[in-house]
Amino acid sequence: MKERLHDKSNAQQTQDPIYQVRNVSVAFDMDRGTSRVLDDIDLDIERGEILGVVGESGSGKSMFADSLLNAVVSPGQLGGEVIYNTEDGQSVDVTELTDEELRKFRWQEASMVFQGAQDSFNPTRKIRTHFVETLDAHDADIEDGMDRARELLSDLYLEPDQVLNSYPHELSGGMKQRTLIALSMLLDPEVIVMDEPTAALDLLMQQSIVRLIREIKGKYDVTIIFITHDLPLLAELADRLAVMYAFEFVEIGLTDGILEEPSHPYTRALLNSTPNIFAPVEDMTAIEGSAPDPVNVPTGCSYHPRCPMATDACVESDPGYYETNANHGVKCHYWEDVDNAIPLQVTADETRQVDVPAYGPVAMGTDRTPVLTLDDAEVHFESSQGLFAEPDAVRAVDGISLDIYENEVIALIGESGCGKTTLGKTAIGLQRPTGGSVSFRGQDIWDAKDGHGDVEIPHEAIRQSLQIIHQDPGSAINPNRTVRHTLELPLKHYNDELDMGDRQARILGMLETVGMTPPEDYADRYPHQLSGGEKQRVTLIRALLMEPDLILADEAISALDVSLRVEMMDLMLDLQEIFDTAFLFISHDFSNARYITEKSGGRIGVMYLGEIVEIGTVDEIINNPKHPYTKSLVWATPDLDETGENEDVPLRKIDIPDARNPPSGCRFHTRCPEARETCARKKPVLVGDGGNTHEVSCFRDVPNHEYWDSPELMNDEPSDETPTEK
Amino acid sequence: MSHSDGEPTPFERVAERETSRTDYYREILDRNVVAPLRILISDTRGLFGIGSILFFVFLGTVGVWLTNQPESTQYILLPPFQDAAHPLGTGRYGNDVLLQLIHSTPFMLQMIAGGAVYNITMAVIVGTFAGYKGGRIDEFLMTIVDMIIAVPALPLVIVLAVIFEPTNPIVVGIVITLPSWAGLSRALRSEVLSVRTHSYIEASRTMGLPTASILRHEIIPNLMPYIMINFVNAARRVIFASVGLYFLGVLPTSGIMNWGVIMNTAYETGSLYTLDTAHWIILPMIMVVWLSYGLIMFGQAADKVYNPRLRARHATTMTQETARTEEAES
Ligand code: SF4
Ligand code: SF4
Repeated sequence: MKERLHDKSNAQQTQDPIYQVRNVSVAFDMDRGTSRVLDDIDLDIERGEILGVVGESGSGKSMFADSLLNAVVSPGQLGGEVIYNTEDGQSVDVTELTDEELRKFRWQEASMVFQGAQDSFNPTRKIRTHFVETLDAHDADIEDGMDRARELLSDLYLEPDQVLNSYPHELSGGMKQRTLIALSMLLDPEVIVMDEPTAALDLLMQQSIVRLIREIKGKYDVTIIFITHDLPLLAELADRLAVMYAFEFVEIGLTDGILEEPSHPYTRALLNSTPNIFAPVEDMTAIEGSAPDPVNVPTGCSYHPRCPMATDACVESDPGYYETNANHGVKCHYWEDVDNAIPLQVTADETRQVDVPAYGPVAMGTDRTPVLTLDDAEVHFESSQGLFAEPDAVRAVDGISLDIYENEVIALIGESGCGKTTLGKTAIGLQRPTGGSVSFRGQDIWDAKDGHGDVEIPHEAIRQSLQIIHQDPGSAINPNRTVRHTLELPLKHYNDELDMGDRQARILGMLETVGMTPPEDYADRYPHQLSGGEKQRVTLIRALLMEPDLILADEAISALDVSLRVEMMDLMLDLQEIFDTAFLFISHDFSNARYITEKSGGRIGVMYLGEIVEIGTVDEIINNPKHPYTKSLVWATPDLDETGENEDVPLRKIDIPDARNPPSGCRFHTRCPEARETCARKKPVLVGDGGNTHEVSCFRDVPNHEYWDSPELMNDEPSDETPTEK
Repeated sequence: MSHSDGEPTPFERVAERETSRTDYYREILDRNVVAPLRILISDTRGLFGIGSILFFVFLGTVGVWLTNQPESTQYILLPPFQDAAHPLGTGRYGNDVLLQLIHSTPFMLQMIAGGAVYNITMAVIVGTFAGYKGGRIDEFLMTIVDMIIAVPALPLVIVLAVIFEPTNPIVVGIVITLPSWAGLSRALRSEVLSVRTHSYIEASRTMGLPTASILRHEIIPNLMPYIMINFVNAARRVIFASVGLYFLGVLPTSGIMNWGVIMNTAYETGSLYTLDTAHWIILPMIMVVWLSYGLIMFGQAADKVYNPRLRARHATTMTQETARTEEAES
């Protein structure tokens, strides 16, 4: 039978726990009642492990981080014991430390890396000052300390002197975050608590940092507690996982154990809702319902309102920890049955056939006419640095040619700062190219606007045909206007033969089509009365009301919750079928790009520093990437089944070079693991292999190229790069 | 586009029956007039502000119509609250102070409205246009604005007043605050700069909406709280400037009745030095302070009118459903 552990401790066999957390709660008194944001937690943390804590936003995971360092801000009340064991066998209760002891404890024994490195540095001081001041405040030897700092920085793939001499704004987000990690380790702490340290970064950077954290942990012998909402990220990093739901841990166990045999319905739902690059798109499902309110946590098992397996017993009694094996505890009465009740859907099958697209035609034949053509388009921004300096040109888009066909879905992916948004805006005529041309059905957009030459399609018509959906739904609709009013404006402007009643009917019909029912009610709402997903639907309707031929979706789903993204993409595709539009879908996320292009038989374009380096169908790009950069992006996209602990970062450098001063030859050569000496001198061009949709810009794709005979590029060649600002 | 055959798409949908126009207009009225008013009077400051303004408007219309012009009587310098025929006393020429105050009101109100509307219109047009367009246009307009700001206002106004000797209340209102829109338009411009970064502005531009329409529908509504406060301030500036200039005798006073003129007459006949005549100069002052304070209160409360959350809550046509969501959210 089920074996019940002694009441509610999940104290698993830890030999040498560095932390013993006992009955820890955090409560806030609010008007509505007591808000328990951490509910009676017990947990042991083993010395030298990497513990991954995963939970949705609002699950209490940041509170857990704060309580480990006794850093809960008032009026929050921290209760229980947080026992910290030093290496030489002494134990202290962190909750009892005096302020002065705490100050020492926080840097020398346990330190913390927060999300948003931006705010952790004083913008008016150089990085070096931050290091020196930290050393100084703890009476450490400055010289030894700075030597350690240099070592740490270079272990994190940074150039120590360059970083130390920079101001915070001169470093990119990824560099700042790594610098912060180095700073947190400056005083040789035993434990580092990292709270969403990679949340704001690109996937490639996230993955790179995760690898570095593993390496650093091995070298400096620290215990790491890594807190995130991103389960796949932990799959490759953590030794043990603790899944947090409703302010307590519902499942704790070894990472492999949890990923292979998750025993809590919530963990399973979490795994099933995670977009996965190799999983069949049909299998992703969202978790129903929403996370509980800390003032009113459901009785019994707090997951019962959302749990498909819930019974009366779950409502009545709070499950304790059941041990599924020596290393795996779970808080669910029915953990033995989850396998049948909630099957796991993540199956990695790399040789899987791409499904016949559910929508639209597969890519294109040559006979179709493009809706939009970019011909060698360039956008160079002048960025002047002070009054007398020569203005630098940022080459945001550098010589891109692209055809977008009727009804086609093209996804553009790349790291932030690669120029994908600028390219998108250039394509829909919001950004004037500084070179090359953009034409709509053969009519140059800017000639039409300026009235140059014979204008066959008037600018007004072009303007109407190219629409946009923005990233942040909050800022994309005017907060002072009702939905009805927002949607009326474009109709009035373009369709003046419609009378008022027709306009209303059309707006209501559209609201109904996107599932906002009853439409009469939604029409009279102000934006603050809509959820993020609903706002995004309104912007989608607004774009569609113009009857466009091409819609630019600029990271249009990135701001939505993971579980809503799939729904929104489905809606876009459904509407695309009804309205006959092409989509240019911009994303930094491979999984989303794959989902939307696979379902519509579209193409994916990979951008790097203002250029498209590879483009092709989903199958070609995901299953047969040819460009080393595409390969690294695929590598960085979470793949639950590939543990790949020893796999190195497939890059020579993890930071993107400065777009003001891009590398010579192949722009990727400074980071490319395959770079040879030719690559630094010569520039590859985007070519296909005859009649195929797949085009790559890399010498490796050209047989008998001189590349194959040239020597490998040395890693330590002098670099004249300055850090990027993005 | 090829959705002509078969089922009409939602996009081709037309109304099956005429929406009743009265319903539609009732709703517009509700959202744009009734709801804002309800918000205003739900606030004590708003109630006081609206009340004061209505009171003065009443005084300047019905009050003027009900009472006679003040005339010289035999009762000279009667103190207030002594005689039921002259409740607020009389001046040196025996004219009733209450009647004087009442019959000054139309001039004051027209002057205030003229000056404030002129200032706000100039500031909004120049400020929003420059801020939204940016580039050369912005630079050009802001250079002019800066030049106007650089001119010392008081001497300019005095010179203009002496040259033109304006007597029409609206012209007086404009002349005495002639250059003050410039500072306001600069402030508005910087507000526009922050509003225009919102992506809904870009969306409107992508839809090809004309500049005037974007300014009117997307930008100005978001600046309304700010514009209202400044409208009130401009109104107060007109009051103070006029009272000051009339008091100093810079503006022509003959044949004109307003609070500043009353104070000027009182002063010239020496009422600053004797207690017996103090009411003659204090009562118009009270009017000035009262109206000005009422305007401030109104301006503060008007801030709330432009808060969509409050507006949604006070609209009666809002369905029960929305109301509940609102509640759950807050
Ligand atoms: S205890 Fe019941 S409600 Fe809770 S997770 Fe298990 S089955 Fe679901
Ligand atoms: S051309 Fe050379 S540097 Fe560029 S991607 Fe190919 S191998 Fe790498």
